This record gives sequence, structure tokens and C-alpha cells, in this order.
Amino acid sequence: MTIARTTEGQARTIASAGQWRVMLPWIVALVLLLAMPFIFRSSSTITIMNQMAITIVFALSYNMLLGQGGMLSFGHAVYMGLGGFFCVHLMKSLPIPLPFLPLFGGFFGLLFAIIIGAFSTRRAGTVFAMISLGVGELVAACSIIIVAFFGGEEGVKADRTKVPEFFGVNFASQTEVYYLIAVWTFLAALAMYLFTRTPAGRIANAVRDNEERAEFLGYSQRYVRLISFCAAGFFAGIAGALFAVNFEILTAENLNLQTSGAILLVTFLGGVGFFIGPIIGAIVFTLLQSVLSLQTEIWQLYVGVLFLATVMFFPFGLTGLLAMHHTAWREGKLGVLVIPYLKMLLAGGIGILAAACFLEIMFHVRHAAVGDHAMRLFGQTFDSHTVWPWLLTGGAALIGFALVKRLAPEVKAAWDEANTPNAVRRGGKP
Amino acid sequence: MSVPAIALTDVHKSFGKAQIIRGVDLSIAPRERHAIIGPNGAGKSTLFNLITGRFAPTSGTIKLHGEEIQGRPPYEINRRGLSRSFQITNIFPKMSVFENVRCALLWPMGYRYSFWHMVSGQSELNEAADGILERINLSARRDLPAGVLSYAEQRALEIGITIAGGANVIMLDEPTAGMSHSEADYMVDLIRQVTEGKTLIMVEHDMGVVFNLADRISVLVYGEIIASDRPDAVRANPKVQEAYLGAALEAAH
Repeated sequence: MTIARTTEGQARTIASAGQWRVMLPWIVALVLLLAMPFIFRSSSTITIMNQMAITIVFALSYNMLLGQGGMLSFGHAVYMGLGGFFCVHLMKSLPIPLPFLPLFGGFFGLLFAIIIGAFSTRRAGTVFAMISLGVGELVAACSIIIVAFFGGEEGVKADRTKVPEFFGVNFASQTEVYYLIAVWTFLAALAMYLFTRTPAGRIANAVRDNEERAEFLGYSQRYVRLISFCAAGFFAGIAGALFAVNFEILTAENLNLQTSGAILLVTFLGGVGFFIGPIIGAIVFTLLQSVLSLQTEIWQLYVGVLFLATVMFFPFGLTGLLAMHHTAWREGKLGVLVIPYLKMLLAGGIGILAAACFLEIMFHVRHAAVGDHAMRLFGQTFDSHTVWPWLLTGGAALIGFALVKRLAPEVKAAWDEANTPNAVRRGGKP
Repeated sequence: MSVPAIALTDVHKSFGKAQIIRGVDLSIAPRERHAIIGPNGAGKSTLFNLITGRFAPTSGTIKLHGEEIQGRPPYEINRRGLSRSFQITNIFPKMSVFENVRCALLWPMGYRYSFWHMVSGQSELNEAADGILERINLSARRDLPAGVLSYAEQRALEIGITIAGGANVIMLDEPTAGMSHSEADYMVDLIRQVTEGKTLIMVEHDMGVVFNLADRISVLVYGEIIASDRPDAVRANPKVQEAYLGAALEAAH
């Protein structure tokens, strides 16, 4: 009796400990989200954070398709864009308080997801990908044709301060907008996380893993995909509404293939196999975008290279890269990796920076005004039309990459060492 | 006489010009353990696929507990109480063993595609899944990804997710294929135990397993059933011996 009670008590403690472990990241995230404007006060940082939060919601919704449902979509921007366009029009015409606008955005995203999902989710794989591409093109074409709704090339504008105040807040300042976006980002992320824990979310995983088996267990693969698709459309619509609130303008760019491709890139960069992956991807991508685009005109090239490198070397994304270190961390052997990693980072850094300089010089030669030979890189001014900068940066890049190749076996050895358990544990199982 | 669990009437199936199933009539009583045997290419797997809804028959009717099911999608047939396993292991490799079984339980336990229940909070569901794991002796592997299990364990898991939903007609496609003798013996015991009181239909090549488990045997040759009878009668049937069994039977003795 006593024993039974003890185990029951222990079970309860374990259960609540488990609950805590699940809840803790969310509480930390909420506190962090709310504290951000006190840490970073400049309005440009808040602008970046707003953009980041919108991208997080969009990427998480995309991962409902790609990561959890196994659907590769090339047209997810359609649902964000349409949600956004409807919200801009609502902002212009109806007195809906801004904090409720994302609900409407979600509704419109959902509506279009139901219509398009009804035929596009019949098959997964290539068929689904092709249909999403086609629908993406179709909607992008419509956005140019139906000027009354999409506003043609200028897009549609609205003024968020014209809608009725919400408890005295008129969302004129960036910080007020930040809090609106932050709260919605938190709610949307939490809802998307909880979705993965529901029967619908679990079966979406099952259909992704093995659609045929799921079908023979009583699940219609098509219906399961449609549910995920609609949920993803709903949250993309919310992201669109947040975009509308933040930028007060939507253009054809918000629904075109480039935006759809970018969100695939963001999600993949972060890691599709993890819930937090798209969040990390969105943060890193937005930072890269806003920092790099200020520094260089060819930032998209660097992002492209980063994406290629991710696909080729870290197919599980940045989160996967972190997760790979779990074993070493559990064994307490992460220290083994520090020195080899630092060496690798140094060599890689030299190679990457030098290669980037090389590309920048090339770009300068091609695109600078005629006769403008003076170029500034990292505080150094030099003539981009002489041979030395080319030789120097090219040579440094080659040396850097050669060093990377040289160091690879050392990192590999350290990796193996870090992942070998220290001792055979009790019970004889390694 | 009660309504048969499965009744096939004059079922044909052609792929293009190739006639694979050429007029099969078969009736399997509730709670019977029925084996379908036959040489390679006889159409056993096709017959399985017709009954379970993977393919629609070209003509003929298939009834499950008296209701016509031919041409219906697999998930509808499954919901009417028929569950199958596959010749090639067919599980959810990236999900945990527990998750595999739990997924198989969601529909039959009424959760369907709900997005307002949290699976972790459904103690009835989780206990049922753990119960299935215990029955197939995989409790110790509960949290491993199903893809890393040994072959025999994956086969056991396959049986587990097949029976999890409580279907009363269980169809197993070569459940002991590729197993060692001891693994096959274990599998036969497991099958016997988990299909207690249910209708079992299986395709099997191992004659030891067939004669050990089956109440009745049907012999399928070139898309036709040439005999359907009790094991000893099938064994004695000259047509069967001529077509197929002779060599295999001698090998089994």
C-alpha cells in the first residue's frame, strides 16, 4: 500500500517534471519576447525584430507542410500574401481593432487553403510540389491582372493609425506594433506546437513517413494532408496579417515564387526535422538579410551559397547541427571539440571572408561607375583595377579552404572521440 | 449458417491483358484461420490487395461481413474491421515504436483527426498502446525509432499495429518471410495469441507455419483456387500435389 502510494507520488513528480521541461522554453520565450524592446531600444532593431517575428510565424506554418506533413510546397507565399492583402483592405474599410486583424488574416488564409488544398493534397511528392508551383504562378499572375484588389505594381496601402484605437493604443509607434506582433507570434507558435501533439498532428507525421501504411490503418492520406494544409494556410494568413500591420503595404512581391522559395530556404536552413528549426532559420535569415543587405549588394549570393552548403553538408539544418552534439554533451565530452572547432572556424573564416572579398572586387569592377577605381573593403581603400587585390584575396581564399581540407580529419577524429561513451555503463549495455 | 467474414464471388483482376485473378470464389467463416498458398506468381498478393482495397477488382464481388467492399479505398475497408500486414515490412520508421502503435489506435479509439485533444493527456489511449507493446513484447523498445529495430522486431511491430485497432479480420502477408526457425516459431505463437477469436487470413510460404496455424487452406494456382479445404484434405488432394504441394510437402517432412 505504502509502496503503491510512493510510486504513484513519484510518477506524479516525474509527470510534472516532464510538464515543466515542456513549458519552460515557452515561458523563457515569452519573457524574452516581452523584454526585447527594453534590451534593444533603437527603432531599426525593433523593425528587424518585427520582421523576424513575422518570418517565424510564416516559417513555422511552412514547416507544418514540409517537416510535419511531408509536403514540399513552392507556393506557400500565396496564403500569407492573400491573408495580407485582405487585411490591408480590411484596415482601409472596416473599423476592426488591429489586435484582432490577424484572426481575419488567418481566416482568409484558411479559406484559400481549403479551396486549393481540396485538389492539391490528393497526392504528396512531386505532384503536390508541381501543383503548388502552378497555383503560385497563377496567383502571382492574378495579382498583376486584378488591379482593383492587388493594386497592380504599387500594391495596396493602408494606414494602421486610422483604425479605431484599442484601449487607447493607436499603434503609431514601432514598439506598440512590436508587442502586437510578439503576442501573436507567441500565440501562433504555441498553437502550432500544440497541433503537433494532437491526433491530427501525429497522423500527419505517420502519413509523411508512410502514407500507404496509414491508409491501411484507417486514415485517408488525402484528408490528413488537407488538414495540415489548411492549418498551415491559416497560420500563413496570420503571418500575412502581421505583415500588413507592420508594413501597411502589400505588393505582388508578397505572393510571388521568390517569397515562396525564400521561406523554403529559411525553413530548411533552420532544420525541418525540429519544431524549433524554422524559428532558428527565421532569426538567422532575417539577421543575415538585414545585416548583409546593408553591407553588400550581392547578399543574395551569399545566402544562396549558405543554403547550398546547408543542403550539402548539414541536411538537418542549423538545429540538426546543434542536435548532433547531444551525445557528446550527455557524455560531457563537448570540450574535446572546442580546439578543433576553433581551428576549423579560423581556417573557414579566412577562406570565406577572402572569397567574399574576391567576389566584392569582381562586383565592383563590373558595376562601379566608369572611372571609379577606388574601393573600400574592411576599412582599406585600394584600386580594384590592379592585380594585387585579386591575387591577395584569391590566394587567401585558396589557403583558407586548403586548411579546411587539411583540418577535416582532425575534426572528424575529435568528433568520433567525443561521441564514444566514456565507459560501459551498468547493466552491460553500452 | 452465419454470414461469412469474407466472401468472394467470381472475382477477376486483369492488368492490361494479363489476367492475374481468374474467377475466384472463396468464403471464410468468422473466427476461422485460413491460409492461402500457391506457387510464386499465382496471384496471392494480388488477391490480398483486392480484398484490402489496394486494387479494385475488374469484376466480381467481395463482401466483408455481408457488405460489399470491392473498389472501396483501403481506409474505409479498415474502418469496417479489416486490417492487414505487408510482405515487406511496412511501418513508420522515423516514429518511435510506441508512436507507431498509438497512431494505429487513434481512429479506432474515436480520436480520428481531432485537433482539440492532446495525445499525451489521453491516459486511456496511452495505456492501450502500452498494452499492445506488452502483447508483442516490445515494451523495452518503446521509445526507439521503429526503423532501428531488428528485422524480427519490426515484423512483430507490424503485427502489433495491424491488430492494434481491434479489427476482427486480420490479414497477414507472409508474416514469417525471411525469419530464422526460432524467430518463425516465436512469430507463430504471437500470431496465434493475438488473433484469438478473430478471423485470420494469411499468405505463407513456410508449410510448417501453414499446417501449424491454419484451420483451412486454399490453394491458388494461376489465379484460380484449385482446392479449399481442411489441411489434411488439402494435403491428400491429388490436384494440389500435382500442381504445387508435392515437392514442398516432402521438403517439410
